[in-house]
Amino acid sequence: MAIYYFTNAGEPCTPFEVTGEDLMKKGMAIKATVPDGIESWRLSYDTAAKAVVVYAEGKDEAGAVAQQATDAAAEATAGKEKSDAATIASEAE
Amino acid sequence: MSNLSKLFGGGTVIDPRKEGLPLFGMWGGSSDQNTQMQFRVFDSNFRVTGSPWGSTCDTTTNYRFGILADASHAYAMKDHGTDFHSNLTTEGYSSWTNYIKSIYQVDQYPHCFHYTASRDGFVTWQSYHQFTSSFEYQVGWTKLNQVLPEGIRPRRTFTNRRFTMREFMGNSDCNCDFYDYSSHLLNTDQAYATGTGYNEKQKMLVMVHSGDESANTSKTIHIFRSSVCLNEGTKRIKDFFDNLESTEYFTDTWTNQCVKDWTVVVGNNGWVGFGNKQSNSKRYGVFDCNVKGTGVAITGASRQWTTWHDFAGSTTTSYGANSGHQYYTKFQTTWDGTWGMIYSPYYYYGVGINAFCMSIENPRKFININQTKSGRANPYIAWGRTGFHGGWSDNCDSEVWQTYAFAFDPKDSDHTIQTRVYKGSTSGDGAMPDNNSLVGGDFDNRTGVCSLDAMRTGLHGGTHTTNYPMLMGINWWGSYGSADQSYGGK
Repeated sequence: MAIYYFTNAGEPCTPFEVTGEDLMKKGMAIKATVPDGIESWRLSYDTAAKAVVVYAEGKDEAGAVAQQATDAAAEATAGKEKSDAATIASEAE
Repeated sequence: MSNLSKLFGGGTVIDPRKEGLPLFGMWGGSSDQNTQMQFRVFDSNFRVTGSPWGSTCDTTTNYRFGILADASHAYAMKDHGTDFHSNLTTEGYSSWTNYIKSIYQVDQYPHCFHYTASRDGFVTWQSYHQFTSSFEYQVGWTKLNQVLPEGIRPRRTFTNRRFTMREFMGNSDCNCDFYDYSSHLLNTDQAYATGTGYNEKQKMLVMVHSGDESANTSKTIHIFRSSVCLNEGTKRIKDFFDNLESTEYFTDTWTNQCVKDWTVVVGNNGWVGFGNKQSNSKRYGVFDCNVKGTGVAITGASRQWTTWHDFAGSTTTSYGANSGHQYYTKFQTTWDGTWGMIYSPYYYYGVGINAFCMSIENPRKFININQTKSGRANPYIAWGRTGFHGGWSDNCDSEVWQTYAFAFDPKDSDHTIQTRVYKGSTSGDGAMPDNNSLVGGDFDNRTGVCSLDAMRTGLHGGTHTTNYPMLMGINWWGSYGSADQSYGGK
């Protein structure tokens, strides 16, 4: 396990103690313990649950990137379908 | 440009290169590029400028190719596909569309990596057919990092490779000037120019020469001061070197993953910042390049301020010039030329940002800038008088377009005190809170990390439902002081 500092919005900010503690004093960071071996882009901090969230937990980096691509494609497809439906609906008016 | 020599130092006469406050283009539309597409140009106050464009098209006259660009590609649209909102992970040349929103697209030069966009609302993509043979793709890293007066972007494109400086017109592939400066060098041990900065106020040129164009750590740094301005309209490169007032150098050994990432910021006080991308992180060091005398201070240790500084923010897998020379580390300045930014992506091929922002007056004053998105990128561009914005391209369905905007104090150049950064918010009440607190923060020199916050703009994305707006650089921001104060900055 390792220490990581997140922004108040829950985004990764810094792994460095000097910088992180300074931001903590200013109320600009949240200190949390994170699992080892996880790249920072997969980490976030749920400010409501007060817990670290690992994207694609249990997968390695390649698996997480693949999961991200899958999620993005699904979101794009859903968006396209929504957009097409809205266009058809507006044309029917 | 031919009149510049008469205008430099001309009292109240405005340099014809001087532009108004920065504009930006915003491309929005449906994801298939065939129905509704819009390209609008906004000023730094988010007011629309130029002539509005809009179109409704079908597959054979798609907006991007059939209306605004190369009509021969209108039917098949094979080059960019249809996806404008990738997460920028494993993309290469075969999928341009996936990093057209990356931070590689825009630097301090008026031209952009992959497109041209005018303030009147015309946007066109460069031909994809030979793009991998183009200037910007292959040797954009040889461009000079220029420190210029307020409101001025580089209007002349100088490059430096081996012992030769050349001039190009924009990012075309044709030389219009050439000069081998090797006769002016006091040390020729390292033969590959791999990073060059120029300060117009000081007429000061600083070059990093390496042992190869790969990862060689041996360096010779050459420092030239001239009585002739390199950018002066009627002058040639040779004129700068023929009128040198001082020539010095120092040698050192600098760690680097790829020498093409070296970025050189020549400060107004003679201190020079050198930054590059190093693995997933970045490094920045500052050296005293003021005149010391011939044969004096010829080692890096005798000129360096403190030590090399590693990026203090969050890092993850990200690519620089070692993964392809087109991914070289970029440099920009604020409109007023008081703050600079050396930057590269936080994530893979161009999402988020890892940056050092430094005072141009005194490059020893610098902080770390952090934004950790792993999808929905956009370039960063100069914004307002003393700031930057960009980085956000999330779906604008039921949402306004947001941007990571931040600004500095133009008079703040003291490296012994904290750096103040002004930021925005995703709510008006957050941007203008019911208290006396600063919206932004004060950050320690060297180690302070400013994580960027998104702010709402009130601009919509350009279509009625799912869309992922693209922020684009504009090649001319309008003449400074024109009748419309939106452009004039005063």
